Amino acid sequence: MARLKIENLYKAYGATEVLKGIDLEIEDGGFLVLVGPSGCGKSTLLNCIAGLEDVTSGDVVIGERSVTELHPSKRDIAMVFQSYALYPNMTVEKNISFGMEIRGVGKSERRAAIEGVADMLQIRELLKRKPSQLSGGQRQRVAMGRALVRDPQVFLFDEPLSNLDAKLRVDMRTEIKRLHKRMGTTIVYVTHDQIEALTLATRIAVMKDGIVQQFGTPDQIYNDPVNMFVADFMGSPAMNLLPGTVVAENGGLMVSLDGHEGEMLLPLPDSDALRGRMGQKIIFGIRPEAFTDPEGADRTSTQLEKRDCFVEVVEPAGSDTFAVVKLGGKSAVARLRADARISPETVTSLAFNMGKAVFFDPDSGERLK
Amino acid sequence: MSGAAQDIAMKGSRATRIIIYTVLILFMIFYLLPLYVMLTNSLKPLDEIRGGDMLALPKNWTIEPWRAAWSYAQIGVEPTGLRPYFINSIFMVVPAVLISTALGALNGYVLTKWSFRGSGLVFGLLLLACFIPFQIVLIPMARILGMLGLAGTTSGLVLVHTIYGLGFTTLFFRNYYAAFPTELVRAAQIDGAGFFQIFWRILAPSSAPIAVVTIIWQFTNVWNDFLFGVSFADFDSIPMTVALNNLVNSSTGVKEYNVHFAGAILAALPTLIVYIVSGRYFVRGLMAGAVKG
Repeated sequence: MARLKIENLYKAYGATEVLKGIDLEIEDGGFLVLVGPSGCGKSTLLNCIAGLEDVTSGDVVIGERSVTELHPSKRDIAMVFQSYALYPNMTVEKNISFGMEIRGVGKSERRAAIEGVADMLQIRELLKRKPSQLSGGQRQRVAMGRALVRDPQVFLFDEPLSNLDAKLRVDMRTEIKRLHKRMGTTIVYVTHDQIEALTLATRIAVMKDGIVQQFGTPDQIYNDPVNMFVADFMGSPAMNLLPGTVVAENGGLMVSLDGHEGEMLLPLPDSDALRGRMGQKIIFGIRPEAFTDPEGADRTSTQLEKRDCFVEVVEPAGSDTFAVVKLGGKSAVARLRADARISPETVTSLAFNMGKAVFFDPDSGERLK
Repeated sequence: MSGAAQDIAMKGSRATRIIIYTVLILFMIFYLLPLYVMLTNSLKPLDEIRGGDMLALPKNWTIEPWRAAWSYAQIGVEPTGLRPYFINSIFMVVPAVLISTALGALNGYVLTKWSFRGSGLVFGLLLLACFIPFQIVLIPMARILGMLGLAGTTSGLVLVHTIYGLGFTTLFFRNYYAAFPTELVRAAQIDGAGFFQIFWRILAPSSAPIAVVTIIWQFTNVWNDFLFGVSFADFDSIPMTVALNNLVNSSTGVKEYNVHFAGAILAALPTLIVYIVSGRYFVRGLMAGAVKG
């Protein structure tokens, strides 16, 4: 177990820069999730940590030791690959013990380690089988077993759940979280699935174009995004990002949105950044769950604002009902209670929880606080 | 009604089937005819052949032509039969095939999994070997064999065939390993396996299909080669193909067609056996399960 530190890491393939100065640190026993759209450099970063790719410049530190120049096998890491990468010609048992065999661990010791891992992951009855005889979920378990048996300083997971079907993915997600609790080993986990990121992580790094956009706790990332990219990327359904104008009204700041019948005014928090935007366009961001029916709204919030909205479409989704509302010239999604009485093509009163609203500069995408 | 329609469909398909099989059988007869002629005539006494009818079955069956071709027919000046040359060919083919296949596998492994700056160029140059006509290299090759002291030896022929085969064996293995999941190599690296350990423990066990293809290809080419054999072999390293040529050309008055036919079949036999034995060895789905669920 150890903390992991990445310092000013650059990676370029020829003239193409893939990682542009990454600085991250995760404490001992932490769970760092690297998340971002495909091509953002998250897998490359993981491979740099693993030592499977050379870094162009910068440093990777595990514990107190710089491992940047070390061979992957000397970094005291274990990795679970997206494709599982089980050796097809070996049984499950051999797959798990291959690394130990290479390192010259004795036979009885290997035996004991295999049994321990097999019990922990409940794969004892699979030990004699070949990978081709396993189901997707079983392969996933074996791949984790191969990593676990190593008892490394840091675990690296490269999109380990992306080849599983939806239900299994949720089960395995819980299982990974449980394993992390139990082992307490530092984990770096790459995914493009923002739900996985939010549920698993103690720290999330949201990446785009080789740059860390925001590095923080899941709560910070979700509720306090630093820019429009992070706000849009995290959360499902995505945050409503609606163009509006800052105006002064009754001595306070207001944002004016295009409603169904003329403008709709919502109060803004009094901040220098927003006051400086008087008369200018901003992006008003509100998550679907902060934009809901008055009965279902957060009663502890002191900044509930009820407005009449024109509901275009209603989408019942079992646990929730989603209402699509025309607002600010865009389709905004409101998340209502499952049994909310609402019908399409009608005007309904909906509550905006302005305490949860965020604002962005429309050009740079930066947050306005 | 539907039954009647089915009947018509069945009849239609039966008619096309009959046509297809007739054509196939005709082709088969066409292709098998030379083998039939060779076999039947190799089992006849010579005067029966000279009597005219090449297609008739032997009246007096005899295996004498086979014994002659194998052990006492006149090859050049020696009445040794083809046997010593058959052995020469074996001593040439087996090492040449094994070495070129092993090196091709290593090349393919390096070119796909340890690719380096300029590895594409190296592969391109190796591929060039597939397109260079044999005749062009004869004289330089003779010089080099002379300089190495390998002129006229079986080892020299092994070297020539290994070098010439490398282009193809590398091509086969490179294309096969290009589809081999690189994540397996990475996993093995993290497990601490070295260059050769990864090759032996991870790639080689999954290489049977392409190894069989390569071995069939190399065996056939090296065994059937005439030009290198006739150019670089000395008296005691002459391969089967050259000996067969000598057998046919060194007649003592009469052309012993029956012996020639038997010799020709003997010369073709090893490649036939390799095809029959390993052609069936068709491994499928070896990689299934390594990747994806």
